[in-house]
Amino acid sequence: MMLLTVASISLQEMIRRRVALLFVFLLPLVFYVVRIDVHWQAIRFLSVGVGWAVATLALFSHVGARRLDRRLTVIGASPTALFFGRQVALAAVGVFVAGVYFGLVAVTQEDLPHLAGVALLLVTTVLIGAPLGALVSLVISRELEGALALLSIMALQLLVDPAGAAARLLPLWSTRELTAYAIQGHGSGSLSSGTIHFALMMAACVLIGWGAGVLRLRAVRVSPVPVQESPHATLK
Amino acid sequence: MADDWGMLLFRHLIDAGIEEAEAGELTDDALAEAAAAGVEPGSMYGPALTYAGALARTVRQATRHAAPPPRRRDAIVLRLRNVTKRYRRRQVLREVNLDLRAGEVAAVIGANGSGKSTLLNICAGLTRASSGTVQRTERIGYAPQHEGVAPLLTPAEHFRLFGAACRMNRKEAVSVGSQLAAQLGWRPRRNVVASHLSGGTRQKLNVVLSELNGPDLILLDEPYQGFDQDSYVDFWDQVFRWRNGGAGVLVVSHMLHDLDRVDHVLELQPVGES
Repeated sequence: MMLLTVASISLQEMIRRRVALLFVFLLPLVFYVVRIDVHWQAIRFLSVGVGWAVATLALFSHVGARRLDRRLTVIGASPTALFFGRQVALAAVGVFVAGVYFGLVAVTQEDLPHLAGVALLLVTTVLIGAPLGALVSLVISRELEGALALLSIMALQLLVDPAGAAARLLPLWSTRELTAYAIQGHGSGSLSSGTIHFALMMAACVLIGWGAGVLRLRAVRVSPVPVQESPHATLK
Repeated sequence: MADDWGMLLFRHLIDAGIEEAEAGELTDDALAEAAAAGVEPGSMYGPALTYAGALARTVRQATRHAAPPPRRRDAIVLRLRNVTKRYRRRQVLREVNLDLRAGEVAAVIGANGSGKSTLLNICAGLTRASSGTVQRTERIGYAPQHEGVAPLLTPAEHFRLFGAACRMNRKEAVSVGSQLAAQLGWRPRRNVVASHLSGGTRQKLNVVLSELNGPDLILLDEPYQGFDQDSYVDFWDQVFRWRNGGAGVLVVSHMLHDLDRVDHVLELQPVGES
């Protein structure tokens, strides 16, 4: 019940951040329109834009909720429910954004070998972006510094040679592989390598983010009071 | 003229947390008495806002006296033994001792930087003491001094969230939260988020959230900042109602004139570097 309550209230809270949501939609659109002349790059940029926007939203959502979450854990809320409740809300917003842009791609791009692959790469990007933002928020506790860290990660993601071994350490390497499958008609090799990378990266982000969140919110163990004491309080 | 005054009185009573039916009855009574005396209600009772505040307080006090004490009294709810806190070379607290029982109020006073908030955080389990022991009851309420509420959530959403943390269902949490708010002279409006509330009303929400789970120990860190005089009186009434109900209350206070009403005063001195 706690998880669902946190998810629904976090969703409501995000919906009230209208300007932030506007930019969550605008950022991928800008990436897409800038490279619309080269369709495979446009879609790859679009998905990185979606991932970046969702990760940034997750960063601000988790940083903004930190003090409230600490207060909630004092009265018995589970840190796990708080973490995953926010993640569910973020994933819901992200999947909605992904759905809108999938519609845009379907309308504006012709002759894609695997149109469903575009949906897959957008959704997988969202599912990495949400825990990635949470993870950054738990390592870097301030919003500005966290946003700059995400900017660095995404800039690397766009600039680094994807064929290099080090590129696989970046969170959205799977996006590039799945883009190759969806747009360039690469065989199932790209699909399987992209899917495996996505699964491993998402699991790593979720597990580390969850573990760091639980550690951060874990209350100090306080001994219970003795069962019965004689009356008359004393102040020493 | 009398109708306008009556309408204003009714609205202010509702805003002060009085149920609609009761507010209607109180307004009718006031208007009837003024009519029987042959004077305008405004000249008999004064401004509607002031009279509504006085009426609301009377109603709340009557309700409190009717409420039975629900908890076992005299059991220890918080025990501090030689609690010390250091941040690197800076010592914040030195050997703090306190026994607080159910049905008692302790005020923590001290100059800025004397470690009042740190002590409350240690009691809440948010900060680890460098040495000493802290023993307390499991079920606590906690109102921090700052950032105790989420700016983009409505009071009802806060009640749901905090209610879920202590396993209350949605309806129960909102109902209990609204009742507690009424005791502080506030009726939460739907669809108004916390950032749009006045500073004092936001602090009332902060206080209500600390009590939502019916805790045995309530920790309050100067929660009355921004309160007007009536709200301040309501707040202390609320603290003593908790005490009468058998809860232990630890409240950080700067207001020395209230200290003669509390059971214990714990004065902290700035310790400094060592």
